[in-house]
Amino acid sequence: MKTLIVEVIDAKRIGELVTVGRIFGDTPDIVALGSGDIPGNYNKAYCSDAAVGSNLIDGLVELIKKEGYELVLLSATTVGAEIAGPLSVRLGAPVLTEIIGAKSDMTVTRPIYGGKAMTTFKINQTPAILTVRRKYFESAIAEGTTTPVPLAGAAGAIRLVSEEAVKTEGIPLDDAEVIVSGGRGVGSGDKFTILRDLAGILNAAVGASRGAVDEGWAEPTMQIGQTGNIVAPSVYFAVGISGASQHLAGIANAKCVVAINKDEDANIFKRARFGIVEDYAKVVPALIQALQEEQ
Amino acid sequence: MHIAILAKVVPDYEVPTADFELTDGRAHSRYTRMIGLYDENAIEIGVQLKEAYGATLTIISYGKTQDVTVLRKAIAMGGDALHLVLGDADDPFVIAANLKMAIEQLGNVDLVLAGQQSADMDRGVVHSILAGMLDYPFLPQISTIKSEDGRWMVAQAHENGVRRLEFSGKGVLSITSSPKNVPRIPAVRSILAAKKKPVEKIDGIPGTAMPVAELSVEIPKMESVCEFLPLDDMAQTCKILLSKLREERYL
Amino acid sequence: MRIPYWNISYGILIDAVALVAVIVFVIGLHGHWKRIRLGKVRIRSANGDHPGKIGPVFVYSLLKNGILGAKLYKKIFTGIAHGFLFWGMLVLALGTSLVVFNLLFGLPVFEGRFNRLFMSFFLDLAGLLVLFGLLFFLLRRWLPPERLITPKERTGFGVQIGLLATVIVTGFLVEAIRIASTGPDPYSFVGNFIAGWLPADALSAHRIFWWFHGLLCMVFIAYIPYSPMMHMVLVPTNIALANPRPGTKMGVLDFSSFDNDAEEGAEEEIPTLGCASLADFTRKRLLDFAACLWCGRCHEVCPAAITKKPLSPKGVMVTLAERLAAGEVEDATLIDDITEEAIFACTTCTACLEACPASINQPKTILKFRQNLVMEQSRVPELMAKAINSLEQRAHPFFGTGSGPKDWCKGLDVPLFAAGETEYLLWIGCSVTYEERAQKIARAMVRILESAGVSYGILEESRCTGDPAKQMGNEFMFTELAQTNIDEFNELGVEKIITLCPHCYNSFDRHYPPLGGNYEVIPHSVFINRLISNDKLALKNSLERICYHDPCYLGRRNLFFNEPREVIRKVGQLVEMPRSGAESFCCGGGGGNYWAEEVGDRINQVRSKEALDTGADRIATACPFCLLMLTDGAKKFTEEQKTFDIAELVAEQLT
Repeated sequence: MKTLIVEVIDAKRIGELVTVGRIFGDTPDIVALGSGDIPGNYNKAYCSDAAVGSNLIDGLVELIKKEGYELVLLSATTVGAEIAGPLSVRLGAPVLTEIIGAKSDMTVTRPIYGGKAMTTFKINQTPAILTVRRKYFESAIAEGTTTPVPLAGAAGAIRLVSEEAVKTEGIPLDDAEVIVSGGRGVGSGDKFTILRDLAGILNAAVGASRGAVDEGWAEPTMQIGQTGNIVAPSVYFAVGISGASQHLAGIANAKCVVAINKDEDANIFKRARFGIVEDYAKVVPALIQALQEEQ
Repeated sequence: MHIAILAKVVPDYEVPTADFELTDGRAHSRYTRMIGLYDENAIEIGVQLKEAYGATLTIISYGKTQDVTVLRKAIAMGGDALHLVLGDADDPFVIAANLKMAIEQLGNVDLVLAGQQSADMDRGVVHSILAGMLDYPFLPQISTIKSEDGRWMVAQAHENGVRRLEFSGKGVLSITSSPKNVPRIPAVRSILAAKKKPVEKIDGIPGTAMPVAELSVEIPKMESVCEFLPLDDMAQTCKILLSKLREERYL
Repeated sequence: MRIPYWNISYGILIDAVALVAVIVFVIGLHGHWKRIRLGKVRIRSANGDHPGKIGPVFVYSLLKNGILGAKLYKKIFTGIAHGFLFWGMLVLALGTSLVVFNLLFGLPVFEGRFNRLFMSFFLDLAGLLVLFGLLFFLLRRWLPPERLITPKERTGFGVQIGLLATVIVTGFLVEAIRIASTGPDPYSFVGNFIAGWLPADALSAHRIFWWFHGLLCMVFIAYIPYSPMMHMVLVPTNIALANPRPGTKMGVLDFSSFDNDAEEGAEEEIPTLGCASLADFTRKRLLDFAACLWCGRCHEVCPAAITKKPLSPKGVMVTLAERLAAGEVEDATLIDDITEEAIFACTTCTACLEACPASINQPKTILKFRQNLVMEQSRVPELMAKAINSLEQRAHPFFGTGSGPKDWCKGLDVPLFAAGETEYLLWIGCSVTYEERAQKIARAMVRILESAGVSYGILEESRCTGDPAKQMGNEFMFTELAQTNIDEFNELGVEKIITLCPHCYNSFDRHYPPLGGNYEVIPHSVFINRLISNDKLALKNSLERICYHDPCYLGRRNLFFNEPREVIRKVGQLVEMPRSGAESFCCGGGGGNYWAEEVGDRINQVRSKEALDTGADRIATACPFCLLMLTDGAKKFTEEQKTFDIAELVAEQLT
């Protein structure tokens, strides 16, 4: 199966798509958004300086038709959301988003109802487009690098005015082994400080549920959940998080969930490995203390 | 300025996992129906644009007649008219084709807003397919919108931060939630007034479905036994927790 | 024999002055009326006629609270002092009137035994008691207790107290001088006593003091409407017109009348929902505000005020009274003066209403503001907004619940209500359905009903009565939910309902009848008591010490105090809390505050502590919200699970 990856230059993200690509066939080719060498060894590699996915569509369509790609893989991120739909219309190709499972017989699985149910589809026609949910597939190790060829035909309907990367204090969420995450139960933006303190000692990243982000207590980039970051740490501390299915979808692959919530009926306890039914304000300082004593 | 807002009525998205059940591969009909969460954010932004620029808002939905009562909330929030395309297809191509028909019937739509993803199918793709069909530029995950000199200035909530983008002409935007677009609670007056607003019902078209076959729908078993730690001596409990985490090699 | 106007020439002039004083008084009274009149005319109450009501006047209430001032005696010293003042002045006024009648019609009041007992002795006694009363109140203003000065102290008392005291003292002086000149009068014991101390030429001052006394008295009378003493008229009037039924009536709005599909323009204009300015209130409410003396008794018992929330019921009255006095009736910034936080901090426990000696309805006022905030301005605290949203979407307010609608009866075989066959509808209610801890109440009740062989059934679908919506100010949502329930009940022919929650009881009993739902409603604790009385339950007594927390909506608001206690006595030993019965202290869950993040001390923790301090083995209550709030509150002090519902305690003791 001739597969094409479209992704930003990020080894982990590309690696996951390579793994998926290899389920269906050989190592895929790649169109990278950005400039510079692409980690990994590819037959064909292209790059584009299109600022937005929308501007890339024309160029992609031309390439896919010319080279006869049968499968297009994107990550279920902003890039994927920008490209998947319009591309499917132009190619007349079926599109399935947020894939969490795939088999070589062209069956894929995706979650619905906020992660409460899973559907399995069989793709009956190529070319087809898939967006893949982060962290559900192992990232293939990249060997070597490939210098891409610039891709022609980037239109400019949408102009990027400015970009502000939100400075993450401390460890970025993406690859953190340990994450300390706060929800509505934390109570205010100021109180997130204690979670940062805990994260500091654990060398962990800080995340937040959608509830906390909607309150303005944490940046949207810190959001963990179905519509935020999908994470797969070793330990995930869920502090004051009720555990709605949409949030659990973001930590489905977390290995050990430690839940701290004063509501014993909170749904998070159905997912957690360890539970402390107590006001986090009493637990977190004690935990920090215990960690400091260890050192 | 005429803005079309797409809203989908879905089964209760807060049904607890333990109580969730399916019939025929879809959520049981006993769950109450409501407008999707992100759709409400989109409606809220639409109303803010109406207040800022005097835009007209048309709410467009694809679904069943019974959903009209639920959709009236969108009117109560500030929508001016409701156009419902009647149909019960699940396929994104078909839904998008029907929405396209409704938008083309309106004729003078300047901007189309939609929630980032629906709360039932969670695909987040119908709006971008629609954009492709209409040949309008598409941007997902938008949190704020402004109009300046005939250009749209928008902010996009990206994984790594915020991107400010601009374009002119028509477009389709999908809306993410932010503290600035918390859906407003309609005043009782508006709720009562909304009951009287006319609803335009449009017959749906069959469209062409995607060439994929749904093989199965299952509810995954949640297997997790939570070990609850003692609460009387928090210092001791934390030590216990840390030692267990280290024992099992999580930390 | 005493002669009126003794030693006074042209004494009748004082009556001319009296006439002037009365005119000034009436003008002042009219001024109050002019302001009160700016309110809306009250719509005829939809809650049915009250027995013992003559026209608009609630006679028994007027006599008990207006005349006897029963509530004043809750603070015994103030009560007695006021009693002295009130009855003393009444007697003195009567005495003076009798003098006038003697003058005009020759009424023989100065003869014989009547003269001795009443005109001499009682009048002197009355004057003395009045002086004691005045002294008390003067001291009170000089060293005021907290409640009088928080958040503000009402001024104007000093002048009137001083005036009246001077009137009384000069009155005694005049009497004394007369007695000194005409001979001792042992029955007028005060005057008699003072006469012994007077200098020989006291008589020369008689006339001066007489006129001084008289004129000062006229000044006092004329000044009444311009001072807090106006409460003499306003308070009994307010009491007479106030429905004595405890709790707030909160009449229902007929929203359907705004819904007609008639031609444009023929629709009814929706009036302002709730109240934002003084003009939005009814005249009766404005009378409330004018009658309030700022005594602070409401503030003292308010759970929100006690735990230092922004709310003070007295504070609300103060703001309203000041605005009313200034005539600012159209100003809608009133709500912001009182603040949204304060308005939503109210738990609707109605302890303030209970404590008020003037029958002022503070909760209704606060709820009216809430209605305006919620229904007109869409301003609601966030968690309450989510609860209301959930009510709208799912017909229950427990957003984020982990329970499905049938989880409470998993494993139990609970019969469904069959039209025409089942006697009692067992109404589960939203909190018992969706809150895990509260589900046990229903399970226990089912066991009890089965054990007693009662014909009962539940509805297929579980819903809320709409009470949380009403409490949070959303009358519209309440009416919608209530109508759905009423339609179903009437279709099924439901006649008798057992409720597990006093909020449900209150809704069905008080608010459903105007919407067309008339049922016999019994709270579960009362029903259990009935079963026990009819020997339908075999119980053993655990002999545990059980302290009982009166739920606001069961006890104070609906007067069910004894039945739950009888039940507890059957299964254990009853222990009373310091604040119990009608003086019970709220758990903090009412008024939608179950869905609130409390600032400061938490009401439920305060109450839990009070309960735990009784040393009882268990804490019993008869309301699921109280159960949830107190269980949570107790967590601060103990690990043990000590709080239970009466049904749970009874089910445990079933043999």
